[in-house]
Amino acid sequence: MGSFEVSSLSKSFRPGAPVLSDLSFRYEGAGAVGYLGPNGAGKTTTLKLLVGLLRPSTGHAFLNGIDPMVDRKSALWDVGALIETPEPYPTLNVHEALDTVGRARGLSPDDVDREVDRCHELLDLPPLGQRIGWLSKGQRQRVALASTLMGDPSVLLLDEPTSGLDPAERVVVRRLLNRLKRDHLLLMSSHQMLEVTEVCDQVIFLHQGRILLKDRVDRLAGRIRSRQVDVEFEHPVAPDAMEALRPIATEVTPLSERRWRISFDGADATRVHLLELCQGVGPVLQFAHTSLVLEEAYLELIPQNADDA
Amino acid sequence: MIPIRTDPPGPAEAGAVPRRRVSDFEQWGIVTHHQLGHYLRTNRFYGLLGFVVLISALSLAFEVDAGIAAVRVEQLYRSSEYLSNFLASTGLWIILAAAFFGGDALSVDFSTGAGYYMLVLPIRRPVLLAGRYTAATLVTLAVVGVYYLFGAVGGIYFFGAPSIPWGLLLASLGLAALFALAALGVAFCVSAVIRSPAAGVLITVLVLYVGFTTLQAVVELAGIEPWFSLTYAGGAMAAVLDTDFVHVQAIPLGEDQYYTIWAATVSEGLAIMAAYVAVFLPLSAYLYQRKESTG
Repeated sequence: MGSFEVSSLSKSFRPGAPVLSDLSFRYEGAGAVGYLGPNGAGKTTTLKLLVGLLRPSTGHAFLNGIDPMVDRKSALWDVGALIETPEPYPTLNVHEALDTVGRARGLSPDDVDREVDRCHELLDLPPLGQRIGWLSKGQRQRVALASTLMGDPSVLLLDEPTSGLDPAERVVVRRLLNRLKRDHLLLMSSHQMLEVTEVCDQVIFLHQGRILLKDRVDRLAGRIRSRQVDVEFEHPVAPDAMEALRPIATEVTPLSERRWRISFDGADATRVHLLELCQGVGPVLQFAHTSLVLEEAYLELIPQNADDA
Repeated sequence: MIPIRTDPPGPAEAGAVPRRRVSDFEQWGIVTHHQLGHYLRTNRFYGLLGFVVLISALSLAFEVDAGIAAVRVEQLYRSSEYLSNFLASTGLWIILAAAFFGGDALSVDFSTGAGYYMLVLPIRRPVLLAGRYTAATLVTLAVVGVYYLFGAVGGIYFFGAPSIPWGLLLASLGLAALFALAALGVAFCVSAVIRSPAAGVLITVLVLYVGFTTLQAVVELAGIEPWFSLTYAGGAMAAVLDTDFVHVQAIPLGEDQYYTIWAATVSEGLAIMAAYVAVFLPLSAYLYQRKESTG
């Protein structure tokens, strides 16, 4: 089983302007860790430091216990990394681009072919003979993702893995990541809270280069009092009918004809009462807050104007 | 009873894949193959090759048009003289090839997403550099080889195959290979420093061709042998075929005034080129190793 660790890690590109300050965390075994924070928080910088694309100003990063600054080849041996937007040479075709990765990771030519076929099946890759330069952004992203899986490394570092993918492709990738996390260790940075909620077991919130919070997603649900629920009714509900929730709902927002987002004070007793009122409006198919926990935690932890900073 | 599925449905299982440690030497081969596959499909390779073929074919056509007798007279009835003159532009082709294939060979990792594809692989950077350097040398030699082929064809046509000094021609090609290694060393060094690929290509041409040629002329005016110049050393590629080779020539400018011109001897050329390789290649590796992906 793999591991990744950063220890007292700091990085400054200019004196007095640290991008990361004294970052420490360690994970090992299998599972998925979500790495969240606004733009400029230092997520990608952390991933770059982990794979040795950047040198730490102070501290160390370790992949499977090996510092990539000391022994890059050994540190990256069992690691697949998708950082920023990887671009294989546009002149090469899909198979050639993946072949180089597979052979560099020690696969025999036969195993390279088998791995390419596996990735083709997992990610619905474009035709293997097609040149990279002719692919769409989404297709290129899938090829890049396939390159991280070649040779089945135990640690996967994924920076916005579904960036550039259409909704159907995102579902495929999310499903894949959910499968992979059972016997791989994933570190995944993302702005997609739903994606992180669906995939990750643990989260790290980063803001201005510092860790604000590290916790398990299920524990976070207990720590953050969810003030919103998504309700799905069996039949379309008119806005007038939602007036029945007025005594306890602070705001109702239609998400579709049958789905509504309801804001309330967050107390468990209120939530029970809210469910009863909703059942009065019509048959309820879903009454859930889980997909919103991370988003609410994010908004609670990160100053609201952080994205503008 | 409803069956409880503990293994939810999903895509094919990621099975354990047998992997073996790959030596640096093997990875050098993998990177060379990868880079060569790229170079051989680039427009710049076919553009340069086409240009060399066009210029060589035109030169040959003009000479054929002038006639065998005229060419023989002009070249003092010596095939070596003919080859030495024909191949005098080899340095320029090599510099262009070095700029095209080396000027952005490393900067591409820090200015495009290519680095995020290759630099996250378990390959040491010096190995990546070595593979790219080898591939760049091979494509440069392919371009130069075509030029030499035209020279040899011309030599055979005008002087006959038995009169061609094949050994010397081979020695000249060997010197061209060393010159290519040296020029690519400089180009890789530029590429390790400059971030923009286009600027890397341009600066390599400016440094190797315009810069060295100008500096060479200036120091010669001052009466100093330009022993530090790679383009000066490149003269050895033609000098090895030149039977009337003169190392130093003093051209009278007026009363008691001379302009001295130096031509690199073969041993001098070899030493300068080797020194360039010895200095610039490790320097490129050092700079590449230190470079960060800050973009």
